[in-house]
Amino acid sequence: MSDIVSIIQRVLGEVDLVLGWTATGAGGVAAPDRFQTAAEAERAVFNATCVHNLAVHLPRLKDKTVGIVAKGCDSRSVAQLIQEREIDRDRVKVIGVHGLGGMIDVRKIWRLHGYGVPVDARIDSLFIDGREVDRKEYLRQKCLGCRDTVPVVHDKLFEAQGPPITGIAEAATVEAILPGTGLGASLTAAEAMSAAGEDESRPLSELFANMNPTERRLFWREQYSRCIRCYACREACPMCFCRDVCIMQTTDPHWTGAGVDAGEAEMMQLIRVNHLAGRCTGCGECERACPVGIPLMLLMNEQNQVIEDLFGYRAGTDPEARPPLLTFDIKGDSRSEK
Amino acid sequence: MRIGVFVCQCGTNIAGTVATDKVAEAALSMRDVLHAETLQYTCSDPGQRAIIDAVQKKGLTRVVIAACSPRMHETTFRRTIGQAGMNAYMMEMVNIREHCSWIHSDIDIATDKAIDLVQKGVARVRRQVPLYSTTVPVTRRVLVIGGGVAGIQAALDIADSGLPVTLVERGPTIGGNMARLDKTFPTLDCSSCILTPRMVEAKQHENIRLMVNAEIEQVRGYIGNFEVDVRKKATCVIEDKCTGCMICQEKCPGKAPDEFNAGVGQSKAISIPFPQAVPMVAALRKEYCRQFINGKCGVCKKVCPADAVDYEQVDEITTEMFGAVVVATGYELYDWREAYPDYGGGQYPDVVTSLQYERMLSASGPTAGHVQRPSDGAEPKQVVFVSCVGSRDESVGRPLCCSVGCMYIAKQAILTKEHIPDSQSYVFYIDIRATGKGYEEFTRRAQKEFGAIYLRGRVGKIYPSNGQLVVMGTDTLSGGPVEIEADLVVLATGFSAARGAGELARKLNISYDQYEFLSESHPKLRPVETTTGGIFLAGACQAPKDIPDSVAQASAAAAKVIGLLSRGEIETSPMVAAVDQLRCIGCFKCRDVCPYNAIEALELRDGRQVAKVIDTLCQGCGVCNVACPPSVVSLKGYTDNQLIAETMELLR
Amino acid sequence: MAELKLIGFLCNWCSYAGADMAGTARMKQPGELRIIRLPCTGRVNPLLILKAFQQGADGVLVSGCHPGDCHYNEGNYYARRRLELLSRMLPAFGIEPERFHFTWVSASEGARWADVVTQFTRKIEAMGKMSGAEQGTPPAKASCEAGVGAPDEQTGSEDAVPA
Repeated sequence: MSDIVSIIQRVLGEVDLVLGWTATGAGGVAAPDRFQTAAEAERAVFNATCVHNLAVHLPRLKDKTVGIVAKGCDSRSVAQLIQEREIDRDRVKVIGVHGLGGMIDVRKIWRLHGYGVPVDARIDSLFIDGREVDRKEYLRQKCLGCRDTVPVVHDKLFEAQGPPITGIAEAATVEAILPGTGLGASLTAAEAMSAAGEDESRPLSELFANMNPTERRLFWREQYSRCIRCYACREACPMCFCRDVCIMQTTDPHWTGAGVDAGEAEMMQLIRVNHLAGRCTGCGECERACPVGIPLMLLMNEQNQVIEDLFGYRAGTDPEARPPLLTFDIKGDSRSEK
Repeated sequence: MRIGVFVCQCGTNIAGTVATDKVAEAALSMRDVLHAETLQYTCSDPGQRAIIDAVQKKGLTRVVIAACSPRMHETTFRRTIGQAGMNAYMMEMVNIREHCSWIHSDIDIATDKAIDLVQKGVARVRRQVPLYSTTVPVTRRVLVIGGGVAGIQAALDIADSGLPVTLVERGPTIGGNMARLDKTFPTLDCSSCILTPRMVEAKQHENIRLMVNAEIEQVRGYIGNFEVDVRKKATCVIEDKCTGCMICQEKCPGKAPDEFNAGVGQSKAISIPFPQAVPMVAALRKEYCRQFINGKCGVCKKVCPADAVDYEQVDEITTEMFGAVVVATGYELYDWREAYPDYGGGQYPDVVTSLQYERMLSASGPTAGHVQRPSDGAEPKQVVFVSCVGSRDESVGRPLCCSVGCMYIAKQAILTKEHIPDSQSYVFYIDIRATGKGYEEFTRRAQKEFGAIYLRGRVGKIYPSNGQLVVMGTDTLSGGPVEIEADLVVLATGFSAARGAGELARKLNISYDQYEFLSESHPKLRPVETTTGGIFLAGACQAPKDIPDSVAQASAAAAKVIGLLSRGEIETSPMVAAVDQLRCIGCFKCRDVCPYNAIEALELRDGRQVAKVIDTLCQGCGVCNVACPPSVVSLKGYTDNQLIAETMELLR
Repeated sequence: MAELKLIGFLCNWCSYAGADMAGTARMKQPGELRIIRLPCTGRVNPLLILKAFQQGADGVLVSGCHPGDCHYNEGNYYARRRLELLSRMLPAFGIEPERFHFTWVSASEGARWADVVTQFTRKIEAMGKMSGAEQGTPPAKASCEAGVGAPDEQTGSEDAVPA
């Protein structure tokens, strides 16, 4: 990975700091880090566990010039932030990563092999506890069928030269929300899901598609009942930059109360879905950050699809575009209502 | 917090279906409500005094009035509680009449609903804060759209008060439909004798600027300050140079339809519509002009002694500010041809519209006042009038009454007898509607003194036979079918809104009905206002009406305009958006969606960019409030918390 | 069956006036709908509709000016997009999209308003109350009295004046 180090070092000549990763997570997996000097950048890595979307830090670093290592999906967040005038294109240097072979689901490794097991997740091969395993088995669901292999915005390109990705992008599989499978979370109530027990690898969205509205409402109540209101979903989201004026934590307006229960959690997620309409780039960080495994991307993916169907728009693919909900079309709207 | 609830009985209008005492009783148990009473007529003087009394005696800080629609009396009651010493906006009206007592018959259902609505009102008013309006200076200049009798009247009245007026007319002359009429009912005054002096007056008035051949292109702004683009269409005639000598018209080889004469007779490609036109200026219609069709002719340019013809002329758009607008776009005759194939659908030359007949009767018309059948020029002896063509006829989708047909038929029957003493008129009618002053007497005269035979019934079919027309109808009074051989049939065609009225209404942002007649703000109490402040209606653009009504409405609109602009400045609604700048994240999504460009960026001392609402531009739609992620752009009077509270209260 | 709870969000200029007109013409309508007046459908936050459903509304109706007739020129165009998206998202939230109706009624369409209310109420009647409540678990109501309370506790001086 000397390449990434030298690229970061070069970019450091132009910016105050660079956002990247070091191999300092449990078992040597990647953890986000920032580099301000060439010496610090020596520790930088890029491997298949660099799953985090570092764009989430950009709105908080507006007073600095920042370099950022961004995968294709992450670059959409950068593009969207530029479109929303939240960050200044001139103050951000994007090191786009091109040619990834899909990222590794570290949680799955930990679930199957134990937390902290040594992991060497290269772009084209995967070693767990020193033994090579079939990396396809451990790819993140969202990477399958990736539509964003080429970074939308970038100043430098880092060729990762991974294998081609095949498959269909999906939200989490059923097993992700079954009792005892979430990492560190005690999942107790999943009766609603027991019907799906016959195939735990079945995509959740498929199961969800077959539910009627009442079942879905019960399904969500189940899911939301686990919410501990830690706001990790919000904190991990690059587009949630209202920060300390977030409407989930205020009485003005009073959309949610202060309670921790399924009702409040539902309202919180409805707010998130609503606020991310036409803005969500589908990076999946909210779902990945959720400590109790609520499949938040089921809603986000659905909404992104609806917006693409209605307005032919994908957030974060064009920094110059006019977001669909901040404009209108007098004649050509999809709506046929008289 | 001390809330008072007043439940109006509105006589029996509300109390007949809503148990108002129960509503008041229920209100007393609502949070912070310490006074509740029923009032017989809350809007009456004793009713308003009762509110003021209660406010002052019990120290109320908020008031809920359960009565009629806030669209009816919100302003009234704001004033009332203002008189009681409260901020006028600390009052909430809930609609238990139009939305409750009048649409339900079951007392329990209506009462339950009324209690819910009061509960909602209490929840809302608890979250209301005092609001204060600001004032903006107004532009003391008025736009009148349409140069018919209503537009002329409005323009003159306003101009006489000292306000500058721009009178915009789409056609080449002012005068409108009235200029085409021969005589007016019920006095048989000569129409042009009474109208043309007014036209000239409008032209010569120092405060009136006349713009003919001009249309409204775009309208921006709001009451007190409308910014209007007017398109002055190219007529290939330089208005200031043209002397109205009409030599061009005489020499022009290009034949063109005569619109002023309703298609009776012919005109020229370059012409002045009629000898009394104002302004007396020729206009060229390119679609009939040989110079434009073949590229060679140029006769008018050659013969014009004033060198006023300019083929290169292009449309010009001028932009002006106005404080108020009067819309007087009038009407045109309903095009009956497609809907009435049984009357020949326009195939028989001797079936004419009432306006065509009017031109045939007029001494200034194409036949110089000699009534001649279009087919052979013969003088008709048997004339049949068919009323309600395109009016009061559900079968063609036009149930509306034209309101003048009965009267002008009587007039035309009288004039027919005067022109052709040995003629006989027949009138097929449904009802005779003659409600104006002297109108009933007039229709009687047509029958008794001028011998018009009135037959009550519809005409089923008209067909030609032996050089005449056979009119087949029924006489419902004698109960049998009637056939009359007619030399000429006059159809009393109904009124349509002027072409493009709907489009203009959309530019002005005012509402209109299914026939594109423009809607008044309230059918009884605000008959000349529109739902958009500063825009008023005059004449038949609002609904079919006769000349006296049009003139009266025009003067009423003028009075409204003068009243509005006499103040020099107007109060703006305080129910506008406001930004909590401490919490604004500076994303400017509000600015992206604002229809009025009423949001600007403001740099705080710490360098942060935040949004700022320009109060005088904001119209209070609230689109920004929804677009703002942290909802710190808030629409005053309709805050998130008020709406949330209302919703929650209804779902308790 | 418990009474249906239907909420209508109406713009002041067209649909509210249309509903007034229906009332003035004494056009009888079912009694379940409760109307909340707004300046414009552009002020309708989709969250408000979701909140209503979450709090137990069985149906929500939004009605505004016809496209092109918005009192604020553009408000209903924004609403059209926002609410179209919302209605397509409702199934994912577990709400039958039929429970939400978005339409245009002008100030002159009193009869149409009466018709809209009647048909919408009949449709929801046929669908019944929002299910879930009767399945043992109470509806997921927010625990605190959201939207109620806080703001007026901090109101201005006007309220501090004792009686």
